[in-house]
Amino acid sequence: MGHKWGMVVDLDRCTGCEACVVACRAENNIPTVGEAQAATGRAIHWIRVERYWEGEFPDVRVKFRPVLCQQCDAAPCEAVCPTYASYHNPEGLNAQVYNRCIGTRYCGNACPYTVRFFNWFNPAWDTPLQLQLNPDVSIREVGVMEKCTFCVQRIKAAEIRVEAEKRELKDGEFNPACVQSCAPKALVFGDLNDPASEVSRLARSNRGTKLLGELGTQPKVTYLLRETWQGEKV
Amino acid sequence: MKAVYGLYPDPDSAQRAVDLLRGANVEDRSIVVLSSEPFDEYEFGRREHKTIMPWLAALGGLVCGLGAFAFVAFTQRAYPLPTGGMPIVSLWPNGIITYEFTMLGAVLATLVTLIITARSPRQSARLFDPEVSNGKILIGVVNPPEASGTEVEEALRSAGTRSVVRLP
Amino acid sequence: MATKTPNEISEELLRPLFHTSWRFFVAFIPLALLVLAAFGAFVYQVWNGIGVAGIRRPVFWGFYITNFVFWIGISHAGTLISAILRLANATWRRPVTRCAEVITVFALSIGALFPIIHLGRPWLFYWLVPYPNDRTIWPNFRSPLLWDLTAITTYLTGSVSFLLLPIIPDWAVIRDKATGWRKKLFTALALGWRGTPKQWHRLETAMHVMAVVIIPVAVSVHSIVSWDFAMAPVPMWHSTIFAPYFVAGAIFSGIAGLIVAMAFLRKFLRLEEYLQPIHFDNLGKLLLMMVLLWLYFTVSERLTTWYGNQSDEMAVFWLTQRGSFAPLFWLMVICNFLIPFPLLAIKKLRTITSTVIASTTIIVGMWLERFLIIVPSLAHKYLPYSWGSYRPTWVEITITVGTFAGMGTLYLLFVKFVPIISIWELKAGLRKSAVARGPLSVANARLELVAEPDGPLTTRRVLK
Repeated sequence: MGHKWGMVVDLDRCTGCEACVVACRAENNIPTVGEAQAATGRAIHWIRVERYWEGEFPDVRVKFRPVLCQQCDAAPCEAVCPTYASYHNPEGLNAQVYNRCIGTRYCGNACPYTVRFFNWFNPAWDTPLQLQLNPDVSIREVGVMEKCTFCVQRIKAAEIRVEAEKRELKDGEFNPACVQSCAPKALVFGDLNDPASEVSRLARSNRGTKLLGELGTQPKVTYLLRETWQGEKV
Repeated sequence: MKAVYGLYPDPDSAQRAVDLLRGANVEDRSIVVLSSEPFDEYEFGRREHKTIMPWLAALGGLVCGLGAFAFVAFTQRAYPLPTGGMPIVSLWPNGIITYEFTMLGAVLATLVTLIITARSPRQSARLFDPEVSNGKILIGVVNPPEASGTEVEEALRSAGTRSVVRLP
Repeated sequence: MATKTPNEISEELLRPLFHTSWRFFVAFIPLALLVLAAFGAFVYQVWNGIGVAGIRRPVFWGFYITNFVFWIGISHAGTLISAILRLANATWRRPVTRCAEVITVFALSIGALFPIIHLGRPWLFYWLVPYPNDRTIWPNFRSPLLWDLTAITTYLTGSVSFLLLPIIPDWAVIRDKATGWRKKLFTALALGWRGTPKQWHRLETAMHVMAVVIIPVAVSVHSIVSWDFAMAPVPMWHSTIFAPYFVAGAIFSGIAGLIVAMAFLRKFLRLEEYLQPIHFDNLGKLLLMMVLLWLYFTVSERLTTWYGNQSDEMAVFWLTQRGSFAPLFWLMVICNFLIPFPLLAIKKLRTITSTVIASTTIIVGMWLERFLIIVPSLAHKYLPYSWGSYRPTWVEITITVGTFAGMGTLYLLFVKFVPIISIWELKAGLRKSAVARGPLSVANARLELVAEPDGPLTTRRVLK
């Protein structure tokens, strides 16, 4: 059986440090758009940490929730793309093919999680930041949609390596950049088709919920939380 | 091309002219009627009314519709890319494309039929008088038989026109 | 009661083709400049990147898609008048039919530009067309955008045919009256039309078949455009009412657009005897019906949303009723209902002027309605952390204004090459209604046909 990549986000462990956000930018050549553009809502964060405040001072509680592409099995963004730039690959990933994208931005509207980002201008890096670019990841030009890929370049690199070494992939052998950089180990990544992998085990936890699961998107990211967002204990 | 024709100011006299021409033993096929409006309440304006255009439109629609469905299903099977958990050959979206192409087929079939059947037979194609565009109705005979001589001209004149033209 | 000979009718209706006054240029030149400005703005956008427009995450669609839906909506004018009234044998449609069909063709053409204008990489728009290529891929027919492509292509083909075919006999008339370069041009355009009964019958049969076909196509086109929104899981987009709502709204804005166009033609081409108060009265009554239908659909949609009380939908609901979009929402209600309803419902108030005022406010209101369907829903989707807003930039505004100017320029050019009232249809209709001799038919044809002064039978026979 092939792989089916999934992720678990443990909200009881997340501290909101946003190391995952920074690591993702570095790994995937995500451009900065400048202060003016960011003010109009055009900043690109393939993974973002949402913060919500509850209550009045001094009884304020902060909740963090990292949101990234949920790699939905019934992704609304896939059906609406006219050029198959967004489609479901055999390993369960929602693949974004930059070359096919003509920029209708329909997928961005259809995604209920708003995890899709658009290149409004050609990206630019001030010197010497271009030296830090990752050669494994292509740069996206103006007019192309992009989003979290579960670091597909790392997935492919690992698969090529184990095939050359004629062995099976071990659980935890590689991780996307966000998972790798998470200090409290709130993010876990792995193969959902392997029942013994840590991600499969955690996904079966009774603390697990799916974000906007009622919409029928069948996301492959499971969120763990001891209590529900309304404060009920699980 | 030889022809004799008269220009009539109103449909009643034009109808009289056609009746008189028939009385002068002119074949229906040789009678030419030209007008700047359709006169289908009058008998002379109802010639050659049989047409299978609506049936051809339906046929064109059917052919284009089936062709569109086959094409879409073929493209979906040729490079199968799953999207949104939907089947590779998705019937309902394909149905919408099929419907539109059915309608397009009907329109195109109508256009093609119109262009082909509205062409005049070459023989009478050159008979025309610009007075038709001034509202006159032209009733004439193409290649009148020599034997009829002035019969045709008399028939045309007595129907009520001052201008009878003989060509060449 | 105006009495005219058939030749007088032809002369008057052909006058704009042979005489151009300074007024034409006063109207044409500013409009053409606005169109050029819009084109320049588009080039600027392609050169610098689509980011020069105001759209942003999460409001990925803004003015351009609003314009797209708006113009496709306006294009339903022709279908209603030409096709539906033709099949219903409403003889009063005859002077109006070509004005309406022209609006359809031009509005569709303009509307169809916007899916290209709004693309991030517009130079690749042709990838939507299914053709064998070496990218080893065909387009995704599951996407509503592909349905848009096929529907608009079909509707455009049908509408252009519907417009051009009945013009051919009129071009033949011009061919015979013109001289010089005009004679050459119209000889080519007339395609050798002579006017035999066979040609007339084939033409009328073709028109009838296309009238029957174009009505379901028009319904499907705007349903498919509405499904661009309804097929996505966005709060207050994903609603089954969208297809009928949009079709009704399209016919609504189409009639309004037609009335405004007719008012301009009546004034500037001096067609007061052809485009009569009865036409504006009848269209005004149809418009009144559509006002009520629009209200019905809007109330149905909002009432069910309110009763459903789903948190994501209610966020968008309150945004338009009481929040930042409320001023535009209530302006829309004023424009679409509060102003037009009394003007159209009260018989004493239903004059040509008031019908035109009502139509103008309706055009504004319907543009706002498209905007309010698209933007508030996108601004407030499911996750509040990602809520946003939208503000258009000069690029979008220039292009929007430019398309309205474009409609004006296309219409002005059309009027110079084609008689805006279908001469043969008008004459045939007048003759038939005169022959019918009923009080109703005469009431509809206040124009009377008179025989030529040199007719041999009875010299001046007024057909009553």
